[in-house]
Amino acid sequence: MTHLRRYGTLIGFVGILLFFWWELPDTFLTQGNLLNISRQVSMLAVVAFVMTVVMAMGDFDLSVGSMASLAGVVAGVSFAAGYPIWVGVGAALLAGLAGGLFNGFLVSVLRILPFVATLGTLTVFSGLAFLASDGRTISGANIPDAFSQFARLRVEMLGLPMPSLTLLAIAVLVMVWVVLEQTPYGRRLYAIGGNMEAARLAGTRIVKLRLTAFAFTGVGAAIAGLMYASRVASANPTQGDGLMLDAIAAVFLGMTMSDEGEPRVLGTLVGVLILAVLDNGLSQMSVDSYVREILIGGIILMAVASGSLGGLRRR
Amino acid sequence: MAAFSVRAMQIELSNLSKSYGTAPVLRDVKLTLQGGQVHALMGENGAGKSTLIRVLAGVTPADSIDLTIDGRAVNLRSAADAADLGLRFVHQELNIVPQLTVAENIGLSRPTPTRLGLIDWGKLNTRATAALARFGATHIDPRAQAGSLGTGDRILIVLAGLLADETPARVLVMDEPTAALTHAEADRLFAVIAELKAQGAAVLYVSHRMEEVMQIADRVTVLRDGLVAMTTPTGTTTKEAVIHAMTGRTLTHVYPPRRGTIHSGNVLEVDELSAGPLHGISFSLRHGETLGIAGLENAGQSALLQAILGAVPRRGAVRLAGNLAPASPASAWAAGMAYVPRERRREGLMLGRGITPNITLPHLAAHAWHGIFSSAKAERDTATRLGAQVALKYDRVDQNVATLSGGNQQKIVFARAIASDPRLVLLDEPTRGVDVGARADIYALIAGLGAKGAGVLMTSSDLPELIGLCDRIAVLRDGTIGCIIPTDDLTPARLLSLIYGDTTIKDAS
Repeated sequence: MTHLRRYGTLIGFVGILLFFWWELPDTFLTQGNLLNISRQVSMLAVVAFVMTVVMAMGDFDLSVGSMASLAGVVAGVSFAAGYPIWVGVGAALLAGLAGGLFNGFLVSVLRILPFVATLGTLTVFSGLAFLASDGRTISGANIPDAFSQFARLRVEMLGLPMPSLTLLAIAVLVMVWVVLEQTPYGRRLYAIGGNMEAARLAGTRIVKLRLTAFAFTGVGAAIAGLMYASRVASANPTQGDGLMLDAIAAVFLGMTMSDEGEPRVLGTLVGVLILAVLDNGLSQMSVDSYVREILIGGIILMAVASGSLGGLRRR
Repeated sequence: MAAFSVRAMQIELSNLSKSYGTAPVLRDVKLTLQGGQVHALMGENGAGKSTLIRVLAGVTPADSIDLTIDGRAVNLRSAADAADLGLRFVHQELNIVPQLTVAENIGLSRPTPTRLGLIDWGKLNTRATAALARFGATHIDPRAQAGSLGTGDRILIVLAGLLADETPARVLVMDEPTAALTHAEADRLFAVIAELKAQGAAVLYVSHRMEEVMQIADRVTVLRDGLVAMTTPTGTTTKEAVIHAMTGRTLTHVYPPRRGTIHSGNVLEVDELSAGPLHGISFSLRHGETLGIAGLENAGQSALLQAILGAVPRRGAVRLAGNLAPASPASAWAAGMAYVPRERRREGLMLGRGITPNITLPHLAAHAWHGIFSSAKAERDTATRLGAQVALKYDRVDQNVATLSGGNQQKIVFARAIASDPRLVLLDEPTRGVDVGARADIYALIAGLGAKGAGVLMTSSDLPELIGLCDRIAVLRDGTIGCIIPTDDLTPARLLSLIYGDTTIKDAS
C-alpha cells in the first residue's frame, strides 16, 4: 500500500505516456514532439522548481505569476527606452529579487501568513506591471532581435538539438536540487517545514532563511518571465498569470511521491512533466481546451487524494 | 432556582485500578464525595491525579471501578455516562470559544433558541444571565465577547455553562482552577465554590496549593504512586502531614553517583535578568555543576531557560564562560549552549522526519564540506554514533521519529544537545513522559555531562529527581529566585515547603 502511495503518481505518469503513445503512434513519442514539450513547459518548470524552495518550508508564494509578468514588462520597458539587453535583463532580475525580498520581509519579519502576504503582493506586482507598461503589450521593434532569438536557439547536445529554454530550465533544476538537497541551507529549509518552533529553538535562523528563500523564488519567477518574453518576443502585464496555479499543482503532484509528503524538486519535475504531457497529448487529440482543464484538474485531485488516503490509513 | 439538588448525596468510588501496560497508575483507589462538601485531591506530578479525573470523565476506561451514588451502583463507561450521572468538569484548559459572546459560550452544549430560524438573542442572554446569577456572578455581561474577559471570569463562564445543563449536576470536578488566577480572581472563585457548596454540590478540587486547600476543603485525599496515601478531614491534619504523605514515597529511581569535581570557573553568569514573568534573576553556575530550578507549576522555570537561550525577549546580562551571550538561539548554540525543550513534540522534534535530521538539526554546517555541501553520510554516521551513546532503541536510522516511544524520542533530543560537546546544557523537564528504563539512561547522561565539565541547568517537577541529580537547587517564587540551596541532606519535603514559600512548615521528616 505504501508502495502504491509512493509510486502511484509515477505509475500514473507512465500510464499517461503509454496512453498517448497508443492513441498518437506517429506524432507523440517522437524526438521533435518531446523536445517541443520540454520547450513549452520550461517556464512553468522554472517557476515550479523555485516554488518548491518556499514550499519546503511549508510556505507558499502566490505572487510568482504576476512577478513573471512584471519582470517581462520591466525588461520590455527598458528595451523600449533604448537600453541594451543586459540592462533590461538585469533590471528584470533585480525586480524579482526586490519583490522576493519584500515577500520574505512580510512573511518572516512582519509574520504575515504567506498566503495573505503573497496574495497582496500578487495584486501589487500585477498593478505595477500595468502601470509600467501603460496596460499595453510591448512588442515589435521595441524588443531587440537578439533577445527574442534566444528562445529560438538550439544547442547541439548528446546528438539532440536542445532548445535553449529547456537547457535553462535544467540548469535551474540542478541548482535548486543542489541547494535544497545538498547544502545545510536547504536542509534547514526542510527543518522549518518539519517544525518551525523546534528548528528555531535548535538554533536555526528562521527570519534570515525565510527572507532569502522568498528572494530565491522571486528571482526564479523573474527568470521565467524573461523566458516567456523572449519566446513570444513581447511583454504584456498578464502573460505570466497562469503560471502560479500550475506551479503549485506540480509541486503538490510531486509531494505525493516523497516519503513523508514533503516537496522534493525531482518530484516537482515529474509533476511538471505530467501537466505538460497531458496538455500536449490532449491538444493533439483535439480535445476541447475546456474539457482539457477539467481532465487535468481531476487528475491532480486524484493523485493528491490517493496520497492523503494512504496517510489516513496509516493513522 | 438552585443549580444543585439540595438533597445531600454521597458518591462513593472504590476499587479503582488502572494500568498502562505493566505500569500501574492507580491501585485500588477509594474516594468518597459528600454533597455540600469540598474534597481536595493532592499529589505530586505522576501520582495519578490526572488519570483519576480522566476515568471519572469517562475518557479513560478503568481496569476496575465501582461507583455508587447514595448506595446505588451505577455504570461509568463513557463520557455520556459521566454527563448523565451529573459529573461536571472544569479542566485546566478552559473550553471556551473566545470569538463568541458569553451567552453563546454558556449555551454552547445546548440547542440555540431561535425565532423564525434566527437566533433569539433576548432569550439566549436571559438564560445566560440566570445561569450566572445562580452563583452570584452578576458582574459579567452576557453580551460581552468571551475572549475579552480575564481567566477568572472565563472559569465562571465555564461553570455557568456546566450548571445550566438539563440534567442536574451532582459532582463538580475542578482541576487546578486557580493555576492562572490572580489573588482577587481566586477569592471570587472561592466565594462561588462556597455558594455552590451551600447549594449541596460535591466538589472534587485538585490543587497543588496547600494554602487554598486548607482554606476551602472539608476533606483531603493524597495520592502517591497511584495509592491513596492519606484521606482525612482537613480540620484534623496539618500541612506537614499532607506534605509528608505526598513525598514520603520510597525512592523508585536510583540516581547516578555524584561526580565530585566542580571546577572553579563560572560557565554561566546571569545578572539581573528579566523576561516574561521573571525579574531580578541573578546566579552563577560553575563548570561541572548541575543546578536545579524548582517552583510551583508554571512558576517561570521554562521561561528562565528560554531567556538564557535567547528564545524569548530578555533584559539583563547573560555571560557564557565570561563572554556576553547574544540573545538568539542560533548564537547560543554556536557559543556552546544546548537546549532540551519541555514540549518534546511541539518544540523539539520534527515528527514525520527521520532520526538523522532530528539529531543533526543544529549541527548541519559542521557536517558539510567547508560548511557548504552537506554530506549525508557524515550526518548518518553522527546519528548512528550518538544513537549508540544515548542507548537509543530503533530499527533504522531513517526511521520516522513519530514511530518511537516517548523515552526514545527524548533520547533523540538529548543526542542533539550533546552532539557538539556543549559547555552549558539547558534541560527543561528532561524526563517528562519518559518510561522508567529510559529515565535511568537519561540520568546517566546528565551525570555524564557534569563529569565532562559541562554546566547543567535543569528544571523538574519531580522533586526526588531534582535532589538526586543536582548539586544546588534554585527555588523560583513570585517571579524571582527565592533561595538557592545545596542538595546535601535536602529532603523532598523540605524542598516542597521551600517551594510553597511557607516558612511555618517544619521539616516533616
